[in-house]
Amino acid sequence: MVQSLLRGIDMYLYMAGASIRAQLQYRYAFVMNILGWAMTYAGTAITMWVLLYSFGALEGWTFWELIFLFALAVLSWGVCMVFFFHFRSLDQYIVNGTFDRFLVRPVHPFFHFMAMKFDVGAFGQFLFSIVAVSLAYSSLHLHWTWQWLVFLGAVIGGTLIQGGLLVVISAMAFWTTRSERLYWVVMWPFKSLMNYPLSIYPRVIQVLVTFVLPFAFVNYLPALLLLDKTSNNFSPFWGCLSPLVGVLFFWLCLRFWMLGLDRYKSTGS
Amino acid sequence: MGTFKMYLEFSRKSFQRAAAYRFDVWTRIVGNVLFLFMWGFIWYGLYHGKSSVEGVSFQAMLGYILVSQALQGIHGAGTPLWEIQERVRTGDIAMEMLRPYDYTTRMLFSDFGGIAFYFITAIVPLYTVLFLVLNPVVPTSLVQLGLFVVSVILGYFIRYCIELTFGLFTFWLVETGGVEDIFYFSISLFSGSVIPLWFFPGWLEQVARYLPFQAIFFIPNSIFVGQLTGPAIWYAFMNQVIWLLVCYLILRLVWNRASMKIVIQGG
Repeated sequence: MVQSLLRGIDMYLYMAGASIRAQLQYRYAFVMNILGWAMTYAGTAITMWVLLYSFGALEGWTFWELIFLFALAVLSWGVCMVFFFHFRSLDQYIVNGTFDRFLVRPVHPFFHFMAMKFDVGAFGQFLFSIVAVSLAYSSLHLHWTWQWLVFLGAVIGGTLIQGGLLVVISAMAFWTTRSERLYWVVMWPFKSLMNYPLSIYPRVIQVLVTFVLPFAFVNYLPALLLLDKTSNNFSPFWGCLSPLVGVLFFWLCLRFWMLGLDRYKSTGS
Repeated sequence: MGTFKMYLEFSRKSFQRAAAYRFDVWTRIVGNVLFLFMWGFIWYGLYHGKSSVEGVSFQAMLGYILVSQALQGIHGAGTPLWEIQERVRTGDIAMEMLRPYDYTTRMLFSDFGGIAFYFITAIVPLYTVLFLVLNPVVPTSLVQLGLFVVSVILGYFIRYCIELTFGLFTFWLVETGGVEDIFYFSISLFSGSVIPLWFFPGWLEQVARYLPFQAIFFIPNSIFVGQLTGPAIWYAFMNQVIWLLVCYLILRLVWNRASMKIVIQGG
Protein backbone atom coordinates (compact mmCIF):
# COMPACT_ATOMS: atom_id res chain seq x y z
CA MET A 1 0.00 0.00 0.00
CA VAL A 2 2.68 2.44 1.09
CA GLN A 3 4.89 1.30 -1.73
CA SER A 4 2.25 1.80 -4.39
CA LEU A 5 1.48 5.22 -2.93
CA LEU A 6 5.14 6.19 -3.11
CA ARG A 7 5.34 4.87 -6.65
CA GLY A 8 2.26 6.93 -7.53
CA ILE A 9 3.74 10.12 -6.09
CA ASP A 10 7.02 9.44 -7.84
CA MET A 11 5.25 8.96 -11.15
CA TYR A 12 3.10 12.04 -10.64
CA LEU A 13 6.17 14.17 -10.02
CA TYR A 14 7.84 12.75 -13.10
CA MET A 15 4.84 13.50 -15.32
CA ALA A 16 4.32 16.92 -13.75
CA GLY A 17 7.97 17.69 -14.51
CA ALA A 18 7.46 16.73 -18.15
CA SER A 19 4.35 18.89 -18.33
CA ILE A 20 6.13 21.89 -16.82
CA ARG A 21 9.01 21.55 -19.27
CA ALA A 22 6.52 21.40 -22.13
CA GLN A 23 4.82 24.60 -20.96
CA LEU A 24 8.12 26.40 -20.48
CA GLN A 25 9.10 25.81 -24.10
CA TYR A 26 7.02 28.81 -25.09
CA ARG A 27 8.51 31.32 -22.67
CA TYR A 28 6.68 34.37 -24.00
CA ALA A 29 3.28 32.68 -24.11
CA PHE A 30 3.92 31.32 -20.63
CA VAL A 31 4.59 34.74 -19.10
CA MET A 32 1.71 36.34 -21.02
CA ASN A 33 -0.66 33.65 -19.77
CA ILE A 34 0.31 34.26 -16.14
CA LEU A 35 0.08 38.04 -16.51
CA GLY A 36 -3.24 37.65 -18.30
CA TRP A 37 -4.83 35.72 -15.45
CA ALA A 38 -3.47 38.11 -12.81
CA MET A 39 -4.82 41.02 -14.86
CA THR A 40 -8.27 39.48 -15.21
CA TYR A 41 -8.60 39.15 -11.44
CA ALA A 42 -7.20 42.61 -10.83
CA GLY A 43 -9.90 43.81 -13.23
CA THR A 44 -12.62 42.23 -11.12
CA ALA A 45 -11.08 43.79 -8.00
CA ILE A 46 -11.14 47.22 -9.67
CA THR A 47 -14.78 46.66 -10.65
CA MET A 48 -15.54 45.93 -6.98
CA TRP A 49 -13.79 49.12 -5.96
CA VAL A 50 -15.81 51.21 -8.42
CA LEU A 51 -18.97 49.45 -7.30
CA LEU A 52 -18.42 50.32 -3.65
CA TYR A 53 -17.26 53.87 -4.36
CA SER A 54 -20.75 55.38 -4.24
CA PHE A 55 -22.29 52.83 -1.90
CA GLY A 56 -19.65 52.21 0.77
CA ALA A 57 -20.60 48.64 1.56
CA LEU A 58 -22.49 45.67 0.16
CA GLU A 59 -24.74 44.20 2.87
CA GLY A 60 -22.17 45.17 5.50
CA TRP A 61 -19.14 44.01 3.51
CA THR A 62 -16.60 46.77 2.98
CA PHE A 63 -14.17 46.92 0.06
CA TRP A 64 -11.28 45.07 1.73
CA GLU A 65 -13.56 42.42 3.17
CA LEU A 66 -14.96 41.87 -0.29
CA ILE A 67 -11.43 41.64 -1.72
CA PHE A 68 -10.52 39.09 0.94
CA LEU A 69 -13.59 37.01 0.11
CA PHE A 70 -12.74 37.14 -3.59
CA ALA A 71 -9.02 36.47 -3.20
CA LEU A 72 -9.65 33.47 -0.94
CA ALA A 73 -11.68 31.88 -3.74
CA VAL A 74 -9.02 32.76 -6.32
CA LEU A 75 -6.27 31.23 -4.17
CA SER A 76 -7.90 27.81 -3.88
CA TRP A 77 -9.01 28.04 -7.50
CA GLY A 78 -5.35 28.54 -8.41
CA VAL A 79 -4.31 25.37 -6.57
CA CYS A 80 -7.24 23.56 -8.12
CA MET A 81 -6.27 24.73 -11.63
CA VAL A 82 -2.78 23.34 -11.26
CA PHE A 83 -4.14 19.84 -10.77
CA PHE A 84 -7.58 19.74 -12.35
CA PHE A 85 -8.16 22.52 -14.86
CA HIS A 86 -7.49 20.31 -17.87
CA PHE A 87 -10.37 18.05 -16.83
CA ARG A 88 -12.79 20.46 -18.47
CA SER A 89 -11.51 19.46 -21.92
CA LEU A 90 -11.97 15.73 -21.44
CA ASP A 91 -14.63 15.89 -24.17
CA GLN A 92 -11.97 16.57 -26.79
CA TYR A 93 -10.19 13.35 -25.89
CA ILE A 94 -13.41 11.39 -26.10
CA VAL A 95 -14.52 12.94 -29.40
CA ASN A 96 -11.08 12.46 -30.96
CA GLY A 97 -10.81 8.93 -29.61
CA THR A 98 -7.53 9.72 -27.84
CA PHE A 99 -9.02 8.89 -24.46
CA ASP A 100 -8.47 5.18 -25.07
CA ARG A 101 -4.78 5.52 -24.38
CA PHE A 102 -5.57 6.30 -20.74
CA LEU A 103 -7.31 2.95 -20.46
CA VAL A 104 -4.63 0.67 -21.83
CA ARG A 105 -1.78 1.67 -19.56
CA PRO A 106 -0.91 0.06 -16.24
CA VAL A 107 -1.96 3.12 -14.24
CA HIS A 108 -5.33 4.10 -12.90
CA PRO A 109 -7.05 6.12 -15.69
CA PHE A 110 -8.12 8.91 -13.33
CA PHE A 111 -4.63 9.24 -11.96
CA HIS A 112 -3.16 9.11 -15.44
CA PHE A 113 -5.47 11.77 -16.79
CA MET A 114 -4.86 13.97 -13.76
CA ALA A 115 -1.07 13.65 -14.04
CA MET A 116 -1.17 14.51 -17.73
CA LYS A 117 -1.02 18.21 -17.06
CA PHE A 118 0.44 20.29 -14.27
CA ASP A 119 -0.82 23.73 -15.17
CA VAL A 120 1.79 26.31 -14.21
CA GLY A 121 -0.34 29.07 -15.79
CA ALA A 122 -2.15 29.19 -12.45
CA PHE A 123 0.73 31.20 -11.00
CA GLY A 124 -1.25 34.20 -12.19
CA GLN A 125 -3.92 33.25 -9.65
CA PHE A 126 -1.30 32.95 -6.91
CA LEU A 127 0.25 36.26 -7.85
CA PHE A 128 -3.08 38.05 -7.59
CA SER A 129 -4.50 36.25 -4.56
CA ILE A 130 -1.38 36.40 -2.39
CA VAL A 131 -0.97 40.13 -3.02
CA ALA A 132 -4.70 40.74 -2.46
CA VAL A 133 -4.91 38.66 0.73
CA SER A 134 -1.81 40.38 2.15
CA LEU A 135 -3.19 43.84 1.37
CA ALA A 136 -6.57 42.93 2.87
CA TYR A 137 -4.87 41.42 5.94
CA SER A 138 -3.01 44.62 6.71
CA SER A 139 -5.87 46.96 5.75
CA LEU A 140 -8.31 45.13 7.99
CA HIS A 141 -5.75 45.01 10.88
CA LEU A 142 -6.12 41.28 11.30
CA HIS A 143 -4.03 39.35 13.81
CA TRP A 144 -4.49 35.67 13.24
CA THR A 145 -3.25 32.87 15.42
CA TRP A 146 -5.37 29.70 15.21
CA GLN A 147 -7.14 31.30 12.24
CA TRP A 148 -4.20 30.38 10.03
CA LEU A 149 -5.35 26.77 10.37
CA VAL A 150 -8.84 27.74 9.22
CA PHE A 151 -7.27 29.62 6.33
CA LEU A 152 -5.20 26.62 5.33
CA GLY A 153 -8.25 24.40 5.70
CA ALA A 154 -10.24 26.72 3.45
CA VAL A 155 -7.58 26.54 0.74
CA ILE A 156 -7.41 22.74 0.92
CA GLY A 157 -11.19 22.36 1.12
CA GLY A 158 -11.71 24.90 -1.65
CA THR A 159 -9.27 23.08 -3.89
CA LEU A 160 -11.05 19.77 -3.36
CA ILE A 161 -14.55 21.23 -3.80
CA GLN A 162 -13.74 23.09 -7.01
CA GLY A 163 -11.59 20.21 -8.24
CA GLY A 164 -14.49 17.86 -7.54
CA LEU A 165 -16.81 20.01 -9.61
CA LEU A 166 -14.35 19.99 -12.51
CA VAL A 167 -14.21 16.22 -12.20
CA VAL A 168 -18.01 15.98 -12.34
CA ILE A 169 -18.14 18.29 -15.35
CA SER A 170 -15.52 16.22 -17.14
CA ALA A 171 -17.46 13.04 -16.28
CA MET A 172 -20.48 14.50 -18.06
CA ALA A 173 -18.49 14.02 -21.25
CA PHE A 174 -18.81 10.22 -20.80
CA TRP A 175 -22.56 10.54 -21.27
CA THR A 176 -22.99 13.63 -23.43
CA THR A 177 -19.53 14.06 -25.09
CA ARG A 178 -19.64 17.67 -23.88
CA SER A 179 -17.72 19.12 -20.96
CA GLU A 180 -15.76 22.24 -21.90
CA ARG A 181 -18.95 24.09 -22.80
CA LEU A 182 -20.60 22.98 -19.59
CA TYR A 183 -17.73 24.49 -17.66
CA TRP A 184 -18.11 27.89 -19.31
CA VAL A 185 -21.89 27.92 -19.22
CA VAL A 186 -22.52 26.57 -15.71
CA MET A 187 -19.48 26.36 -13.47
CA TRP A 188 -17.85 29.65 -14.42
CA PRO A 189 -20.97 31.79 -13.84
CA PHE A 190 -21.66 29.94 -10.57
CA LYS A 191 -18.09 30.53 -9.45
CA SER A 192 -18.52 34.20 -10.29
CA LEU A 193 -21.64 34.38 -8.12
CA MET A 194 -19.49 33.34 -5.16
CA ASN A 195 -17.15 36.31 -5.56
CA TYR A 196 -19.79 38.31 -3.71
CA PRO A 197 -21.17 37.62 -0.22
CA LEU A 198 -23.71 34.83 -0.22
CA SER A 199 -26.06 36.88 1.95
CA ILE A 200 -27.11 39.05 -1.01
CA TYR A 201 -28.72 36.07 -2.77
CA PRO A 202 -32.10 34.50 -1.99
CA ARG A 203 -32.38 31.65 0.52
CA VAL A 204 -32.76 29.01 -2.21
CA ILE A 205 -29.32 29.81 -3.61
CA GLN A 206 -27.77 29.87 -0.14
CA VAL A 207 -29.08 26.37 0.53
CA LEU A 208 -28.03 25.16 -2.93
CA VAL A 209 -24.41 26.32 -2.63
CA THR A 210 -24.11 25.02 0.92
CA PHE A 211 -25.60 21.56 0.64
CA VAL A 212 -25.62 20.63 -3.06
CA LEU A 213 -22.74 22.40 -4.83
CA PRO A 214 -20.76 23.36 -1.70
CA PHE A 215 -19.24 26.58 -3.07
CA ALA A 216 -20.09 28.30 0.23
CA PHE A 217 -17.30 26.34 1.92
CA VAL A 218 -14.76 27.64 -0.58
CA ASN A 219 -14.79 31.24 0.55
CA TYR A 220 -17.94 32.63 2.17
CA LEU A 221 -18.16 30.46 5.28
CA PRO A 222 -14.41 30.51 6.08
CA ALA A 223 -14.35 34.28 5.46
CA LEU A 224 -17.16 34.80 7.99
CA LEU A 225 -15.02 33.12 10.62
CA LEU A 226 -11.71 34.67 9.55
CA LEU A 227 -13.07 38.21 9.35
CA ASP A 228 -15.12 37.77 12.51
CA LYS A 229 -18.37 38.57 10.76
CA THR A 230 -21.83 37.44 11.75
CA SER A 231 -24.58 36.06 9.57
CA ASN A 232 -28.25 35.39 10.25
CA ASN A 233 -28.20 31.98 8.66
CA PHE A 234 -24.82 30.47 9.40
CA SER A 235 -23.00 29.93 12.65
CA PRO A 236 -19.32 30.95 12.35
CA PHE A 237 -17.96 27.50 13.15
CA TRP A 238 -19.20 26.26 9.76
CA GLY A 239 -16.07 27.82 8.34
CA CYS A 240 -13.93 25.11 9.97
CA LEU A 241 -15.71 22.40 8.05
CA SER A 242 -14.23 23.23 4.65
CA PRO A 243 -11.59 20.47 4.51
CA LEU A 244 -14.08 17.87 5.71
CA VAL A 245 -16.69 18.90 3.16
CA GLY A 246 -13.96 19.03 0.54
CA VAL A 247 -12.80 15.46 1.13
CA LEU A 248 -16.35 14.11 1.21
CA PHE A 249 -17.42 16.01 -1.88
CA PHE A 250 -14.34 15.09 -3.84
CA TRP A 251 -14.83 11.42 -2.99
CA LEU A 252 -18.42 11.56 -4.29
CA CYS A 253 -17.26 13.28 -7.47
CA LEU A 254 -14.61 10.67 -8.00
CA ARG A 255 -17.24 7.92 -7.65
CA PHE A 256 -19.32 9.72 -10.25
CA TRP A 257 -16.34 9.90 -12.62
CA MET A 258 -15.71 6.17 -12.22
CA LEU A 259 -19.38 5.51 -12.95
CA GLY A 260 -18.97 7.46 -16.17
CA LEU A 261 -15.80 5.63 -17.02
CA ASP A 262 -17.60 2.28 -16.79
CA ARG A 263 -20.21 3.64 -19.09
CA TYR A 264 -17.55 4.81 -21.56
CA LYS A 265 -16.07 1.35 -21.81
CA SER A 266 -19.40 -0.20 -22.61
CA THR A 267 -20.03 2.13 -25.56
CA GLY A 268 -16.48 1.88 -26.85
CA SER A 269 -16.73 -1.42 -28.66
CA MET B 1 -27.81 46.06 -54.89
CA GLY B 2 -26.44 42.74 -56.06
CA THR B 3 -23.57 43.06 -53.62
CA PHE B 4 -25.98 43.63 -50.77
CA LYS B 5 -27.89 40.48 -51.73
CA MET B 6 -24.66 38.51 -51.72
CA TYR B 7 -23.81 39.69 -48.20
CA LEU B 8 -27.36 38.95 -47.07
CA GLU B 9 -26.81 35.37 -48.21
CA PHE B 10 -24.09 35.10 -45.55
CA SER B 11 -26.59 36.20 -42.92
CA ARG B 12 -29.08 33.60 -44.14
CA LYS B 13 -26.45 30.86 -43.99
CA SER B 14 -25.28 31.70 -40.50
CA PHE B 15 -28.91 31.88 -39.34
CA GLN B 16 -29.35 28.34 -40.64
CA ARG B 17 -26.13 27.23 -38.99
CA ALA B 18 -27.30 28.63 -35.65
CA ALA B 19 -30.63 26.84 -36.11
CA ALA B 20 -28.82 23.57 -36.80
CA TYR B 21 -26.69 23.90 -33.66
CA ARG B 22 -29.51 25.41 -31.65
CA PHE B 23 -28.69 23.65 -28.40
CA ASP B 24 -25.21 25.14 -28.38
CA VAL B 25 -26.79 28.52 -29.02
CA TRP B 26 -29.36 28.15 -26.29
CA THR B 27 -26.95 26.94 -23.61
CA ARG B 28 -25.37 30.38 -23.85
CA ILE B 29 -28.54 31.86 -22.37
CA VAL B 30 -27.89 29.94 -19.12
CA GLY B 31 -24.67 31.85 -18.48
CA ASN B 32 -26.36 35.10 -19.49
CA VAL B 33 -29.18 34.55 -16.99
CA LEU B 34 -26.80 33.58 -14.18
CA PHE B 35 -24.85 36.81 -14.65
CA LEU B 36 -28.08 38.78 -14.80
CA PHE B 37 -29.09 37.11 -11.56
CA MET B 38 -25.76 37.98 -9.95
CA TRP B 39 -25.83 41.65 -10.95
CA GLY B 40 -29.51 41.95 -10.10
CA PHE B 41 -28.86 40.84 -6.53
CA ILE B 42 -25.67 42.87 -6.19
CA TRP B 43 -27.62 46.02 -7.06
CA TYR B 44 -30.50 44.93 -4.85
CA GLY B 45 -28.03 44.51 -1.99
CA LEU B 46 -26.37 47.86 -2.67
CA TYR B 47 -29.73 49.63 -2.75
CA HIS B 48 -30.90 47.91 0.43
CA GLY B 49 -32.66 50.51 2.58
CA LYS B 50 -32.14 53.32 0.06
CA SER B 51 -34.86 54.54 -2.29
CA SER B 52 -32.54 56.35 -4.66
CA VAL B 53 -28.81 56.95 -5.01
CA GLU B 54 -27.44 59.90 -7.00
CA GLY B 55 -30.96 60.50 -8.31
CA VAL B 56 -31.36 56.96 -9.66
CA SER B 57 -34.06 54.71 -8.25
CA PHE B 58 -33.68 50.95 -7.88
CA GLN B 59 -36.35 50.35 -10.52
CA ALA B 60 -34.29 52.43 -12.98
CA MET B 61 -31.15 50.51 -12.07
CA LEU B 62 -33.03 47.25 -12.60
CA GLY B 63 -34.08 48.42 -16.07
CA TYR B 64 -30.47 49.37 -16.76
CA ILE B 65 -29.09 45.98 -15.74
CA LEU B 66 -31.79 44.05 -17.64
CA VAL B 67 -31.32 45.90 -20.90
CA SER B 68 -27.54 45.79 -20.48
CA GLN B 69 -27.52 42.03 -20.01
CA ALA B 70 -29.85 41.53 -22.99
CA LEU B 71 -27.57 43.68 -25.17
CA GLN B 72 -24.49 41.84 -23.96
CA GLY B 73 -26.21 38.61 -24.97
CA ILE B 74 -26.78 40.03 -28.46
CA HIS B 75 -23.21 41.30 -28.78
CA GLY B 76 -21.87 37.96 -27.56
CA ALA B 77 -23.78 35.96 -30.17
CA GLY B 78 -21.50 37.11 -32.99
CA THR B 79 -18.22 35.52 -34.02
CA PRO B 80 -16.05 35.33 -30.91
CA LEU B 81 -12.69 37.09 -30.92
CA TRP B 82 -10.68 33.89 -30.56
CA GLU B 83 -12.20 32.52 -33.75
CA ILE B 84 -10.90 35.49 -35.75
CA GLN B 85 -7.51 35.13 -34.06
CA GLU B 86 -7.48 31.42 -34.83
CA ARG B 87 -8.18 32.13 -38.50
CA VAL B 88 -5.24 34.51 -38.59
CA ARG B 89 -2.93 32.06 -36.80
CA THR B 90 -3.82 29.09 -38.99
CA GLY B 91 -3.70 31.20 -42.15
CA ASP B 92 -7.30 30.37 -43.09
CA ILE B 93 -7.87 34.08 -43.45
CA ALA B 94 -5.83 34.03 -46.66
CA MET B 95 -8.56 31.94 -48.30
CA GLU B 96 -11.10 34.58 -47.34
CA MET B 97 -9.04 37.25 -49.05
CA LEU B 98 -8.99 35.39 -52.33
CA ARG B 99 -12.74 35.60 -52.54
CA PRO B 100 -14.60 38.45 -54.21
CA TYR B 101 -15.95 40.10 -51.08
CA ASP B 102 -14.80 42.41 -48.36
CA TYR B 103 -13.88 40.30 -45.34
CA THR B 104 -14.90 42.81 -42.67
CA THR B 105 -18.34 43.27 -44.25
CA ARG B 106 -18.84 39.56 -44.74
CA MET B 107 -18.10 38.91 -41.06
CA LEU B 108 -20.58 41.60 -40.07
CA PHE B 109 -23.34 40.02 -42.14
CA SER B 110 -22.51 36.52 -40.89
CA ASP B 111 -22.85 37.80 -37.35
CA PHE B 112 -26.26 39.28 -38.17
CA GLY B 113 -27.58 35.80 -38.99
CA GLY B 114 -26.38 34.16 -35.79
CA ILE B 115 -27.56 37.09 -33.72
CA ALA B 116 -30.98 37.11 -35.37
CA PHE B 117 -31.51 33.48 -34.41
CA TYR B 118 -30.36 34.00 -30.82
CA PHE B 119 -32.37 37.20 -30.53
CA ILE B 120 -35.64 35.73 -31.79
CA THR B 121 -35.47 32.36 -30.04
CA ALA B 122 -33.76 33.21 -26.75
CA ILE B 123 -33.39 36.90 -25.89
CA VAL B 124 -36.87 38.10 -26.88
CA PRO B 125 -38.93 35.40 -25.11
CA LEU B 126 -36.79 35.43 -21.97
CA TYR B 127 -36.46 39.17 -21.54
CA THR B 128 -40.11 39.81 -22.38
CA VAL B 129 -41.06 37.65 -19.41
CA LEU B 130 -38.40 39.24 -17.18
CA PHE B 131 -39.52 42.77 -18.03
CA LEU B 132 -43.16 41.90 -17.38
CA VAL B 133 -42.46 40.15 -14.07
CA LEU B 134 -39.87 42.52 -12.60
CA ASN B 135 -41.57 45.74 -13.65
CA PRO B 136 -38.48 47.92 -14.07
CA VAL B 137 -38.25 51.41 -15.60
CA VAL B 138 -38.82 51.21 -19.36
CA PRO B 139 -39.06 53.85 -22.13
CA THR B 140 -42.28 55.83 -21.70
CA SER B 141 -42.71 57.00 -25.30
CA LEU B 142 -42.23 55.57 -28.75
CA VAL B 143 -39.76 58.34 -29.54
CA GLN B 144 -37.60 57.30 -26.57
CA LEU B 145 -37.77 53.68 -27.70
CA GLY B 146 -36.82 54.70 -31.24
CA LEU B 147 -33.84 56.73 -30.02
CA PHE B 148 -32.78 53.78 -27.88
CA VAL B 149 -32.86 51.44 -30.90
CA VAL B 150 -30.79 53.84 -33.01
CA SER B 151 -28.27 54.16 -30.19
CA VAL B 152 -28.08 50.37 -29.79
CA ILE B 153 -27.31 49.96 -33.49
CA LEU B 154 -24.57 52.61 -33.41
CA GLY B 155 -23.15 50.96 -30.29
CA TYR B 156 -23.17 47.58 -31.99
CA PHE B 157 -21.14 48.83 -34.94
CA ILE B 158 -18.64 50.52 -32.65
CA ARG B 159 -18.09 47.32 -30.67
CA TYR B 160 -17.78 45.36 -33.91
CA CYS B 161 -15.11 47.68 -35.32
CA ILE B 162 -13.11 47.71 -32.08
CA GLU B 163 -13.23 43.96 -31.58
CA LEU B 164 -12.35 43.10 -35.17
CA THR B 165 -9.47 45.59 -35.13
CA PHE B 166 -8.20 43.96 -31.98
CA GLY B 167 -8.58 40.51 -33.55
CA LEU B 168 -6.51 41.65 -36.54
CA PHE B 169 -3.64 42.64 -34.26
CA THR B 170 -2.95 38.91 -34.20
CA PHE B 171 -1.18 39.50 -37.53
CA TRP B 172 1.59 41.22 -35.61
CA LEU B 173 1.33 39.67 -32.15
CA VAL B 174 0.91 35.93 -32.32
CA GLU B 175 0.33 35.68 -28.59
CA THR B 176 -2.05 38.37 -27.31
CA GLY B 177 -2.70 36.86 -23.86
CA GLY B 178 -2.09 39.74 -21.43
CA VAL B 179 -3.12 42.51 -23.81
CA GLU B 180 -6.36 40.69 -24.50
CA ASP B 181 -7.28 40.62 -20.84
CA ILE B 182 -6.74 44.36 -20.48
CA PHE B 183 -8.89 44.82 -23.57
CA TYR B 184 -11.75 42.71 -22.17
CA PHE B 185 -11.56 44.43 -18.82
CA SER B 186 -11.67 47.88 -20.47
CA ILE B 187 -14.72 46.91 -22.47
CA SER B 188 -16.53 45.48 -19.47
CA LEU B 189 -15.81 48.37 -17.08
CA PHE B 190 -15.68 51.47 -19.30
CA SER B 191 -18.65 50.48 -21.47
CA GLY B 192 -20.85 50.73 -18.38
CA SER B 193 -22.02 47.17 -19.02
CA VAL B 194 -22.34 46.38 -15.31
CA ILE B 195 -21.78 49.69 -13.51
CA PRO B 196 -23.25 52.85 -15.03
CA LEU B 197 -20.78 55.70 -15.40
CA TRP B 198 -22.76 57.94 -13.06
CA PHE B 199 -21.63 55.79 -10.10
CA PHE B 200 -17.95 56.11 -11.06
CA PRO B 201 -15.61 58.33 -9.04
CA GLY B 202 -15.44 61.75 -10.75
CA TRP B 203 -11.99 61.39 -12.30
CA LEU B 204 -12.68 57.89 -13.59
CA GLU B 205 -15.95 59.05 -15.12
CA GLN B 206 -14.01 61.73 -16.98
CA VAL B 207 -11.62 59.09 -18.30
CA ALA B 208 -14.52 56.86 -19.36
CA ARG B 209 -16.28 59.73 -21.14
CA TYR B 210 -13.27 60.21 -23.40
CA LEU B 211 -13.07 56.53 -24.35
CA PRO B 212 -15.09 54.90 -27.15
CA PHE B 213 -16.35 52.04 -24.94
CA GLN B 214 -19.12 54.04 -23.22
CA ALA B 215 -20.81 54.40 -26.63
CA ILE B 216 -21.39 50.63 -26.73
CA PHE B 217 -23.66 50.04 -23.72
CA PHE B 218 -23.76 53.08 -21.47
CA ILE B 219 -25.40 55.51 -23.92
CA PRO B 220 -28.20 53.19 -25.13
CA ASN B 221 -28.85 51.94 -21.59
CA SER B 222 -29.08 55.48 -20.23
CA ILE B 223 -31.57 56.42 -22.94
CA PHE B 224 -33.59 53.31 -22.11
CA VAL B 225 -34.03 54.14 -18.43
CA GLY B 226 -34.57 57.86 -19.11
CA GLN B 227 -31.35 59.12 -17.50
CA LEU B 228 -30.33 60.70 -20.78
CA THR B 229 -32.94 63.12 -22.10
CA GLY B 230 -33.40 66.30 -24.12
CA PRO B 231 -30.46 67.86 -25.92
CA ALA B 232 -28.03 65.57 -24.10
CA ILE B 233 -29.30 62.74 -26.31
CA TRP B 234 -28.21 64.57 -29.46
CA TYR B 235 -24.84 65.22 -27.90
CA ALA B 236 -24.53 61.51 -27.09
CA PHE B 237 -25.53 60.57 -30.64
CA MET B 238 -22.86 62.86 -32.02
CA ASN B 239 -20.39 61.18 -29.70
CA GLN B 240 -21.43 57.76 -30.99
CA VAL B 241 -21.28 58.77 -34.66
CA ILE B 242 -17.83 60.31 -34.27
CA TRP B 243 -16.51 57.26 -32.46
CA LEU B 244 -18.03 55.00 -35.08
CA LEU B 245 -16.24 56.92 -37.84
CA VAL B 246 -12.95 56.89 -35.95
CA CYS B 247 -13.18 53.18 -35.12
CA TYR B 248 -14.20 52.33 -38.68
CA LEU B 249 -11.28 54.27 -40.15
CA ILE B 250 -8.87 52.54 -37.77
CA LEU B 251 -10.34 49.17 -38.73
CA ARG B 252 -9.87 49.92 -42.46
CA LEU B 253 -6.34 51.10 -41.85
CA VAL B 254 -5.41 48.03 -39.80
CA TRP B 255 -7.09 45.75 -42.32
CA ASN B 256 -5.17 47.30 -45.22
CA ARG B 257 -1.91 46.97 -43.35
CA ALA B 258 -2.75 43.37 -42.43
CA SER B 259 -3.55 42.53 -46.07
CA MET B 260 -0.18 43.91 -47.11
CA LYS B 261 1.44 41.75 -44.49
CA ILE B 262 -0.17 38.65 -45.95
CA VAL B 263 1.12 39.57 -49.41
CA ILE B 264 4.63 39.92 -48.04
CA GLN B 265 4.51 36.60 -46.23
CA GLY B 266 3.05 34.92 -49.29
CA GLY B 267 5.72 36.16 -51.68
